[in-house]
This record gives sequence, structure tokens and C-alpha cells, in this order.
Amino acid sequence: MQMETAGFTRNDLAKYPFLKETAEYIKPLDLQIDDLTSMGMDQILKRAEERVNETILYRRITRNIQNTALEIASFPVALLLVIATENSLIKKRYALAEAKQASSDLANEPKEKILKIALDFDWKIKLTAKESSDSPSEFIIYFTDYLRNTSHLHDKKWKLTNSILSEGNIYLNKKDVARLLEEEVRRRVEKRLDVKVPKFPAEFTLIAERIKKLAQETIGQSELDEMPKVVVQAAFPPCINALYADAASSHHLSHIGRFTLTAFLVNIGMTPESLNELFKTFSDYNERLTRYQIEHIAGERGSGTHYTSPQCSILQTHGVCKNKDDFCRRIYHPLAYYKRKQRTINSG
Amino acid sequence: MEASREFVYQKFTEYYQDPSTLIPATTMPEQREFAYLMFKERFMVRHRRFAEFKNLRSALAETVPSDVYHSCAYYENPDFDMDKKGWLGADLVFDIDADHIPTNCDKIHDEFTCTKCGFSCRGIIPETCPACEATKFEAKTWPCELCIQSARDETAKLLDMLENDFGFSQDDLHVYFSGHRGYHVHIENEAVRSLDAMARKEIVDYVTGLGLGILDKEPEEKRGKSVASKKFSLHNFGWNRRLKLGMQNFLLNATKEDLKKAGIRNNALLKNRETIIKRCINEGRWESINDVSVQTWLKLAEYIRDSQSSKIDTVVTTDIHRLIRMNGTLHGKTGLKKVEFPAKNLQTFDPFTGAVAFKKGTTKVLVSDAPEFRLGGETLGPYKNQTVELPVAAAVMLICKRRAVVAN
Ligand code: SF4
Ligand SMILES: [Zn+2]
Ligand SMILES: [Zn+2]
Repeated sequence: MQMETAGFTRNDLAKYPFLKETAEYIKPLDLQIDDLTSMGMDQILKRAEERVNETILYRRITRNIQNTALEIASFPVALLLVIATENSLIKKRYALAEAKQASSDLANEPKEKILKIALDFDWKIKLTAKESSDSPSEFIIYFTDYLRNTSHLHDKKWKLTNSILSEGNIYLNKKDVARLLEEEVRRRVEKRLDVKVPKFPAEFTLIAERIKKLAQETIGQSELDEMPKVVVQAAFPPCINALYADAASSHHLSHIGRFTLTAFLVNIGMTPESLNELFKTFSDYNERLTRYQIEHIAGERGSGTHYTSPQCSILQTHGVCKNKDDFCRRIYHPLAYYKRKQRTINSG
Repeated sequence: MEASREFVYQKFTEYYQDPSTLIPATTMPEQREFAYLMFKERFMVRHRRFAEFKNLRSALAETVPSDVYHSCAYYENPDFDMDKKGWLGADLVFDIDADHIPTNCDKIHDEFTCTKCGFSCRGIIPETCPACEATKFEAKTWPCELCIQSARDETAKLLDMLENDFGFSQDDLHVYFSGHRGYHVHIENEAVRSLDAMARKEIVDYVTGLGLGILDKEPEEKRGKSVASKKFSLHNFGWNRRLKLGMQNFLLNATKEDLKKAGIRNNALLKNRETIIKRCINEGRWESINDVSVQTWLKLAEYIRDSQSSKIDTVVTTDIHRLIRMNGTLHGKTGLKKVEFPAKNLQTFDPFTGAVAFKKGTTKVLVSDAPEFRLGGETLGPYKNQTVELPVAAAVMLICKRRAVVAN
């Protein structure tokens, strides 16, 4: 099984098993789900389970580059195990852990290797000739590749407005490229986990059950932070207060303003009926339109999608964020503001 | 339908039925949703798909809508319901409309009437009626030259960013007069098509200068330190470059008045302009002039940001399903057409000749009220309660703007 692949060493493939080339490498092994449990591949299965368990316990994945063949083969099998759990939280955790591990490994690689891996994701990326005042960093990447991987990061440093942008390219150092690749890896792994396998061999289902149990014990309820049951107006964020006041005093609300207010109130648990009652007291109330909009947002109409009110950065873009206060600094979403503030109200 | 609307409908019909009318083909029409507003019934027909552009043309000739739109998005099934369309991508579009930006004319040509109490006034339409606090108005707007100049200035800033910062070539930038009081810029490049709403939001924030780290005063302030202890520094790219250049230009030409406008009371900036530019802006030694504090620099930077940012409609660009007026079709509020011109001609392209759709004939109208205006190479008006014989384009515009009726 001595195989040299074109671009990457076997070591690389073991460290970065999500690369397109890994799939090429594994193909000759011709892994079939059915074979796995029978063909004395229990070693692979064992390592695969270990991978998943590590992500649940430590949010990391150790790399075993002593046995690269085993390491490489265990990746797709681990994916199958995660798929078999049919649990979205485990899927998310797994993808994130693979991504975080890759990113921290990448930060220690020579820039040529980082470049090669970025190209595996079809980035438009180049090494700059040399650091100088004309090219302040080692890499330039095309702005669309940058946006794809930064637009949902909250740190202001990633905002395009603050970037070193010139003629469509953004200058980045090695550490930043590694960080953005983390997003790319996460998405690729998530995508591979987002499939339905009709039937798993019994042994797989068994392991998946073990993993689920571990996840239940470890992750528990902590990530399922619950929304308080009663509506507490004192905990509304400033933006919602402003919208609410505008609506109450019959000022005109923009489309996004109206959507934000309605979705927020639905999200914090107001029923469509009580919302409709509330809006009735506003002077430019239009029964048919309001009812339609509320039910649409609450997911009782059309596609059945339950809409979430927009996050802070979106409200900022459209000028809906107003009178930011101290609490706003620690949150990225008006709903998070509400939860937090309510907790302080309750405890204080 | 009253005679005046009938007259406009007639002219729109001639426009869409005349085989010599040039309506440029939309890119990939088979993947777009088309929509149009019915002239008489006043409702919007949506989710139309045309496998070929020529089918669309004949549909226009047949229905004669008052306004025609297509999605900036590409779909697998453009004629299906919204959630079943199968989004494939979307052009990156920008909309700059004088309605949304402060203009030098203060919109004194716009007139609004409260639908509840009948209060009527000129100028910027308020949120609530000064007399009765209601929020619905009948508005009579007017596409004045100052309004259009303001929109043009904002468009120029946008184009400059798209070219120099985003690296688009002039050929990538499709620039249009909107048919009313503004401009549209469409980018159809493969590279931008797949950008999601959040990525587009980042582009919007860039264009409007939102979230600049240097102007973000919160962290220091809130931790009990004063703003003054913050270090001021700028790099040489993107918005940072724009701030530097803007500050330099400002300092070269500023008067005391300009400083006041920027909210700076300290006149030290005007004393040794050359030295300040050299030491502070060029060499980055921002604290090297005693009388010029970090706070002053921040004030100036903020002022420059506000004047250099482009006031686009933020909602249009971030909406990846947006319907946008179709090139070559008529605007129901003016009878002018949306028309493309080369980006480099932004300053010289004259909408009041270039966007005129009706070039033949005259008609008699009774004008209630119109300022002096230019259209199709002629200067017309002002008119007040008088019957005049006008070129068809002018008559259509005044009727659409509800400032005239057909005279008989
Ligand atoms: S920061 Fe967020 S929560 Fe606070 S006012 Fe702005 S949008 Fe609302
Ligand atoms: Zn009124
Ligand atoms: Zn004007």
C-alpha cells in the first residue's frame, strides 16, 4: 500500500484527512460499510470511535501520525459513526473539533503548505513576493473567499471595513489564513455529515448508541439554554424598546423594523393572539396584514419556517440598532441580551 | 380609467409595441423571476418565467405594465413559490435613490398631503403629520436636478470603491439611471453570485463605512479609560487609506468654517498644515503635534468617514431575492426608462435626455403646478394652473407626477 500522492505526503493526509486527495487515497482500499465490521477492520473502527469520543469530551482530536494508514482510514469511518447518531449537536461538535484541530496544526506549517491546503478549497490565494510596505503580509486572498469565511465571525477585526483590502485582494498573515481555513474545514466536514445513510450494520448502530450516551452525559442541558417563560419588558434591549415606542406612538416602522419587532416578540414566547391584541392598540394597525405577518413569522403559514429576529450586526447595517448600552457589548443578538438581562433582573 | 391615465397607458402601449424600441436582453432570463405591475388593475404579477427573452418582449407588448422587474437572483425554478425556487445565486446590486439621501434642494419640490387631516406642506416627507400625527401621506415628488446630482455624487463614491478597493473593472460595473431619482449598479460576475446575505452585508458595511475599528470608541471608554488614551493609527489600505487621503485633502483646503462643520473647535489644525500632513498623516506620528489631540483626529476621521461613505439603500444589496427594475423598461412614476451607460460617463450622462422614451409629438395638458425643468433638450415651465402644449415626454411625466391632466 505504498502510495505517493501528487501534492501531499501521507503525513499531511493523516493530519488533514478532509482534503480532496484523501478521498483519492482511500479509494484503493475500497471501504465498504459492510466490509468494515467483518474484514478485521476493528482497529479502524476503534480509532474512529475514539475520534468521536475525543470531540465530545475535549472538543479536540489527537493526531496519531505513527500509523498514518489507520489514521486516514479512520476519518471517513468516524464520519459514518457521527451520521449514525443522527444527532445534530454531535455532528456540529465533530465538525468544529476537526476544524479547530486542523487550524491549530496549520498555524505551525510552512506557508507553502498552507497555500496548498487553501487551494484544495479552491481559494483564490497567492503568496506575496516579500513583506514590505506595499505588501504588508505573506498572503493575499480574493475578497469573496475572505467574506465566505469571516462574515459570521463577531470580532471587529474581521470586518471587511477594517481589512487590508486593495484591488479585490486582502492581505493576511499565516495565523489569519489558518483561522479562516478552520471555517472552511468546518463547513466541508458538516457537509459530509449532512447525508442520510439508509441502513447501518448492527455494530455501527451499537457504537452510535454508546456515543450518544456519552454525549448526553457530557454535553447535557448546558447548551440548551432555555428562554424565560414570561415576557419581561424591562429586559428588552434598546433597539427593541425604540421600535416598540415607535410602533406605540404610531410612527412609521421600516419593513425590517417591523419584522425585527414582531420576530423578537414571537421568539420570546408571545403567542400570535396576544401579539395581535398588542398591535391592535397601535394606530396604523391593519388587521389582515398584521395577522398574516405574525403567523408567517411564527411559522404557522407558508413554508412553516419559524423566523428568528435578526442579530445585532444586521440591525446595525440597516440603522435599527439604537441607543446601545452596557449590556450590548457582551452580546451579538437581541435575544441574548434579553436572556442575560432577565437573569440579572431575577438575581438582583 | 380617466382620460389622463388612458393617455399615459396609450403611450406606454406604443413604447412596448413598437418593434424599433430597444430593450436590451437580460442576462440568463430563463433563470430569473420576472414581475410586473398591471397598469390598470394595480396589482403585481409575480413568479413569471420566460425561457427566452423574445417571449418576454411579446408579453410586455401584450400586457403593457406600468413597471417591470426581474430578480437579481438566479433560480432553478423561477416560476415556483418562493421557498421552492431553488436559489442558485444572485447579482450584486446597489441602489442609490435621492429619496433616501439628504440633498441640497431639501426636496422643496416634493409636496405631501396627510390622508387623514389634509394638512399639506412642501419639503422632506415627515414620519408623522405635524398636524394630526397620522403617518400616511399622498406624496407628489419631483426628480429635480439637485436631487439627481446628489444621487450621482453618492454613486461616484460607490464606483470608486468598487473599482479601486474591490478590483472590479469598468466592464464589470453595469451602471443605470433608475428612471426616477437615482442610480443602480449591477455586478453580474461569477465571483459574487454565490455570496450569501451576510457576505453582502459586509460589503454594504464597507461601502457605508460601518464598523471602522478606529472609530469604535466603546471598549476604552467603558473600561474607565478616556478616549484620549487611545492610540490613533491607520494603515495604508482600504478604508484606512480613504481616511488618510480624505484627511489630507481636508487639511489642504479647510477653512475655519469647514472645521466647525466637522465639529472641531480647535484651530491648531489650520496653522502648520504642511508639517501636520507630513508628520502625522504621512509618517504616522499622530501625537507629534502638541495642540492636536487624539480626540481631534478621531473627530476628523469620523467626519471624513461620513463624507466619503456612499449612502446606498442597505436593504436592496443584502436582499438576495430582490426584484429590481428591468433595463430598458419604463418607470411608472415618470415615463422615463431605466437605461444603462458606461461607468466612466457617470458625470456626463444626462438622464433628462438619455432616459427619455417618448420622442415624438406634443399634447395639450392643464398643469396645476410644475417648477422649471429640463427634458429632452428643452427647458420648460414653470407652470401654474395653465393649459400648455407640451412634448409627449413632458406631458407624460407631469401626468405621472400628478401635476397635470390632459386638456380637452
Ligand atoms: S447592540 Fe444589539 S441588542 Fe443592543 S441595541 Fe444594538 S441591536 Fe439591539
Ligand atoms: Zn394629518
Ligand atoms: Zn431635489
